[in-house]
Amino acid sequence: MTHLPQADLALATRGLEKKYGSRVALAGLDLSIPSGVVYGFLGPNGAGKTTTMRLLTGLIHPDAGTIDLLGRPFGRGDRRRLYDVGALIESPSFYPYLSGRENLRSLAATGSLTSDRRVNELLELVGLAERARDKVQTYSLGMKQRLGIAAALLSDPRLLLLDEPANGLDPAGIVAMRETLRHLASTGKTVVVSSHVLGEVQLLADVVGIIAAGRLVREGPMDQLLEGEGVVRVRVAPSELESATRVLTALPGDGAVTAAPGEEGWLSIRMEAGRSAEVNRALAVAGIYASGLETGSDLESLFLSLTAGAQTESHEGTFFGLAGSSAPPTAGPTEWHDGGSAT
Amino acid sequence: MRLLVASLRKLIRRPATFITLGLLVGLMALIFLAVGATANQQTSAAAREASLLLVTFPGAYAFIISFIIGLGGLFAVIYAAAIAGSEWTWGTLKAAVARGESRSRYQLLSLTAIALVLGLGMLIAVAIGVVVALIGAGLAGVSTSGLTDSTTLGQLPELLGRGWFALVEEGVLGFAIATLARSQLAGVGVGIAVYFGEQFATIFLADIVQYLPFHAADAIVATGGDSSGFGGGGGPQLVQLDPNSAILVVGAWLVVGLIVTALFTERADISG
Repeated sequence: MTHLPQADLALATRGLEKKYGSRVALAGLDLSIPSGVVYGFLGPNGAGKTTTMRLLTGLIHPDAGTIDLLGRPFGRGDRRRLYDVGALIESPSFYPYLSGRENLRSLAATGSLTSDRRVNELLELVGLAERARDKVQTYSLGMKQRLGIAAALLSDPRLLLLDEPANGLDPAGIVAMRETLRHLASTGKTVVVSSHVLGEVQLLADVVGIIAAGRLVREGPMDQLLEGEGVVRVRVAPSELESATRVLTALPGDGAVTAAPGEEGWLSIRMEAGRSAEVNRALAVAGIYASGLETGSDLESLFLSLTAGAQTESHEGTFFGLAGSSAPPTAGPTEWHDGGSAT
Repeated sequence: MRLLVASLRKLIRRPATFITLGLLVGLMALIFLAVGATANQQTSAAAREASLLLVTFPGAYAFIISFIIGLGGLFAVIYAAAIAGSEWTWGTLKAAVARGESRSRYQLLSLTAIALVLGLGMLIAVAIGVVVALIGAGLAGVSTSGLTDSTTLGQLPELLGRGWFALVEEGVLGFAIATLARSQLAGVGVGIAVYFGEQFATIFLADIVQYLPFHAADAIVATGGDSSGFGGGGGPQLVQLDPNSAILVVGAWLVVGLIVTALFTERADISG
């Protein structure tokens, strides 16, 4: 991976380490997040994403390593640097007995000076103006999440750190959030989004960093990372899935060709998109006729190839799907076929 | 200043504020009304005299304040522990720190707001206490001429000031305990355990217990006679600090509570 010049970085960590007792959460994390982009921060459960977010907002302190926040070192005594940072970490945090507006006003009284007008603007932005007088304890998960995003935007931050921002949002809310975050990046702000919804990150992020077991395993612009991460999806009759898998895994050529049976007769094959005709021919020769063929680049397959085995290393465990075996998969994780929402 | 105002606004909106005050004055009213209604039915003259003393001014002032500092002290521990613990449980401290707010400033201003609310609550409780004591006196047929006793009224501001100081110390300790526990439930539970633990400690630490925070807080408003407050009546006869020494001891405990709160919050890993 290439490091951008320090001056162009909104956020940089070098050799960041954090332990909780004997458990290593971060083992020398090097992140380089350019200014003015949406950065997708990805990793399996227990990879260290939330720990990193906490370190970046001064909630916890590193055992080793450095953080450069908006071009300057960030340490224990630099809390005022956070005036330029907005964060939504883990779940939104509010007083349940106060209204949405009162919660934002209470939060606005902390940190940098924030006006009541800004509170009202943000309530409008996240579509909560009409429910602003209602107590937060009456809000749905999605409404709390929207209020959490409004809270993160209170100080009009130059750097926005969002942990699973789409959590609980309905489809329209997700689209609106995506547009808002893209707009913020277009105005020069930096948005860091940690998420398990890889499809959403693929749509949203300009740059991606993938961590596993407390270390960065890949970082770079989305389009560059997905080059060579072609995926061919082919649909065959469910009764022919097994024989089709055998045929496809035996395809000759450069690079790993792996086939993973999916739902409703779909097979995903990690290979260059240009070889899709070869897939079709091989199946036809074997007497198997595809009823559907798709090609594309897939962040999910890149993510899975880079983080395979990390779930077990993290000791946090993960969700293993009901399909197949009750035992953890040994030939690469297949538990993400539901889109990761079960985490 | 805006953070203090915001903290006060949060407390005033908080249901626990009114529930705590309501419980305290409700119990006090119950006692006064029950005593007033039944005092004259006592068969023993001594018991009747003791009951009537409770609703007879100016002595009733001492009972009202003693009750508020005694039971109110326990409520102050629970109330402040609930507030401090919820900041960790709900993640609201996390949100403030992530915005660049000073951890110790946030906590100390929260405590200042609690101290002000405790003071206001104490004044309201005293006022209601006087009213229900008057009703009790009416029920018992006792004269209320002592209500305007100039000597007692002259001492009342100082007594209230001391009582507020005691309540603040107890609140600070509850706050510090919940901060150490980093949980609302654990903070309240441990706060109650520490309060009653100190009461039980009178059995085997009779000489030392006078220096412990809740006994010292009771002693701060002692006006002679039984000054053991709400929690201490009926227990073993205790050595108690004189009110002026108690102020110093209570002040020391208050400072310890503030330092523990500030230091722990500054150094703690904030999660949740």
